[in-house]
Amino acid sequence: MSFAFAVAVRQAIAGGSIALRCSRRSMSSARLLRTARLASSGALSRNWQQGKKLVATTGNLQQYVREYAAEKKVFERTKPHCNVGTIGHVDHGKTTLTAAITKVLADKQLAESKKYNEIDNAPEEKARGITINVAHVEYQTETRHYGHTDCPGHADYIKNMITGTAQMDGAILVVAATDGAMPQTREHVLLAKQIGIDHIVVFINKVDAADQEMVDLVEMEIRELLTEMGYDGEKVPVVKGSALCALEDKNPEIGAEAILKLLKEVDSFIPTPVRELDKPFLLPVENVYSIPGRGTVVTGRLERGVVKKGMECEFVGYNKVLKSTVTGVEMFHQILEEAQAGDQLGALVRGVKRDDIKRGMVMCKPGSVKALDQLEAQVYILSKDEGGRTKPFMSFIQLQMFSRTWDCAVQVQIPDKEMVMPGEDTKLILRLIRPMVMEVGQRFTLRDGNLTLGTGVVTKSLAALTEAQRSELTEGKKAREKKVAAKK
Amino acid sequence: MLLQKFCMRALHTTRRLYSNSVGTGIEKSALAALRKKTGYTFANCKKALELHNNDINLAEKWLHEQAQSLGWTKATKVADRATTQGLIGVLINGNRGAMVELNCETDFVARNDTFKRFVDHVARICLHYTDMTEFDGDLWKLGFDADALKNLRTDEGRNLGDHLALLIGAMGENASIRRALCFKVNNDLQLVGYAHPAPVNVGTVEDITQVGKYGAIIAFRSAADLDVEFQKSMCQQIVGMKPKKIGEYDKDKPAENKDDETCLIHQEYLLDADRTVGEVLQENQVTIVDYHRFECGEQTERHIEDILQSKQQSSN
Repeated sequence: MSFAFAVAVRQAIAGGSIALRCSRRSMSSARLLRTARLASSGALSRNWQQGKKLVATTGNLQQYVREYAAEKKVFERTKPHCNVGTIGHVDHGKTTLTAAITKVLADKQLAESKKYNEIDNAPEEKARGITINVAHVEYQTETRHYGHTDCPGHADYIKNMITGTAQMDGAILVVAATDGAMPQTREHVLLAKQIGIDHIVVFINKVDAADQEMVDLVEMEIRELLTEMGYDGEKVPVVKGSALCALEDKNPEIGAEAILKLLKEVDSFIPTPVRELDKPFLLPVENVYSIPGRGTVVTGRLERGVVKKGMECEFVGYNKVLKSTVTGVEMFHQILEEAQAGDQLGALVRGVKRDDIKRGMVMCKPGSVKALDQLEAQVYILSKDEGGRTKPFMSFIQLQMFSRTWDCAVQVQIPDKEMVMPGEDTKLILRLIRPMVMEVGQRFTLRDGNLTLGTGVVTKSLAALTEAQRSELTEGKKAREKKVAAKK
Repeated sequence: MLLQKFCMRALHTTRRLYSNSVGTGIEKSALAALRKKTGYTFANCKKALELHNNDINLAEKWLHEQAQSLGWTKATKVADRATTQGLIGVLINGNRGAMVELNCETDFVARNDTFKRFVDHVARICLHYTDMTEFDGDLWKLGFDADALKNLRTDEGRNLGDHLALLIGAMGENASIRRALCFKVNNDLQLVGYAHPAPVNVGTVEDITQVGKYGAIIAFRSAADLDVEFQKSMCQQIVGMKPKKIGEYDKDKPAENKDDETCLIHQEYLLDADRTVGEVLQENQVTIVDYHRFECGEQTERHIEDILQSKQQSSN
């Protein structure tokens, strides 16, 4: 009885071999490794296109764990993961600070020390075919594990946010005490706002070259600036020190100690992102099967949360919302007590017919997601070298949008420009021809015929389209022009 | 090693002494006020106050005087750092137009208002330069390279290089004025300019420097008064489709693959993919006489030579 069900699951699994590799590894390895994988995958997009990336990360972590275990005997990866990044003026010591952090933590055996010139300022990284200039470093404190990002320019940070290679949960703003805020510091803070960073910790660097008075004034100035830009300037933690002193083992009170103080502030001020495991469950439906004698089985990779037998669930998508109950969860022929985020599974559901459910819908905790047909997104348009198109595009272009397991026709509106060139990042308003499950932070790809035009992330959900607006979606250019003329 | 340690200690003690003797002598408000008023770095403000016994006015005067030389010091220090980001500025005023490219190190600076104002400043100086030339032909073009631009005279006997050094001093980042191009037209020719990305719903662009990553200026001849939006769409066409030449109706044949078309008149019209630019132009009775396109950070060895060659060249 359950065999047929398992076959269906296997069929589904055969398609997604990447996910299978993940799952198998996690099953065969110790449980602690699985948690590690989950923590790291939280930083990555769930989109299947990043599947390969996921595997690579898992491999690295595993290696890392092994090395560590050899030294210390027991390793338990219980620390939550958090992504931070440095922003600030080119000469104010971002890289020096990063080097100092790794050095100070290496002394406590919590990181691998990196020299200044080992932290390459802008190695080019390819994520999803998009070139990003970004430096990545990893280290851990007593309480958390960190991924540390530094990008050279505004566009690089935006691209990083869009592709989600290392979404920043918080930022360290570096300011030199000798210079104070530069004119472009305003732009740095503006960027943090734009990429959705709510928590900033300030590090006033080079205090060895300034006196107390100057340092105090710089602090005042930065707090003022942060308040002006919409942050809670009074509450932002400000740490003063000298990254260079820490690096050269001088004046510990402004060197190593300041670095540790900074990390303590980062630990406490930047909140730990919610683990995928702790979120309400969500499973994008990949396939639906009807198993005679048992009922309907849906398969897919559990994107987040935990699914157990007997849980209430809801299918959302294609203008439908169907309530049901999970009556069984299986993976690899076996009954699963509970499926966790990342598992490729089959779920037996009660009371729904096979034809009611379609690939592209999601199975989730009732009420946890909504279908949207209008949204605002930040999108990076691929340049020709990255496989994008050569021509720019204007508002009203019709594209195909791919996200999770669904795709849908969308109409594009460009709110703050007239046209978008390849290689640019831009804000777009997307109108879907029918409502699909979308959430803020969800990633997607835009395609035009057989060409990938761009990739983006949802930044805001907008009001649902009215009937009139929906019928406008399919209108041609001529009809639009007529309307405009009629209005005049 | 020993020497290094010794030096360090010496430095360290001097700093202590220094901050004890002088640091306490300066009133907090003076430094804060001076910094707020002038915007110069804290280190420089402090130095100014120390030199002038805390007299804010004298210190401010000194700072302004020193700004130029401090700017040059900074400029020399950062001179070898690559400037790959930046802005294109396009300014049209009546029958004259100027397009300039300025570079900087990070795109943060390029987004800053101080930098944008400087682009405007440079564009105006270039535009002003065209006034000094008497010309009564149809179209006159003048290209500048980086060195020529630096020596361009501005007010008070200074040149653009001095202004640039001031900017570098303020931004703490290397910057350069890379190239500029001036247009002057007479008789029935008209000019239109556009910089991308442009904000939507802006009324007039006459005498306002538009800034962006791409820029285009077109000189055209038209029988009727053209819609502003249409003029802009012609520039967008140049910016977006990057044509290599205008093309002649009877000589140039359309390319086989539409996407590879480099001849402006045969290119697909961006606002209406069913028509070519040539068709749209003929419909509106417009002849494009000349155009120029700047893209921030593009490779330009040939480009500059072309511009210099076309110096003082008249189209008729």
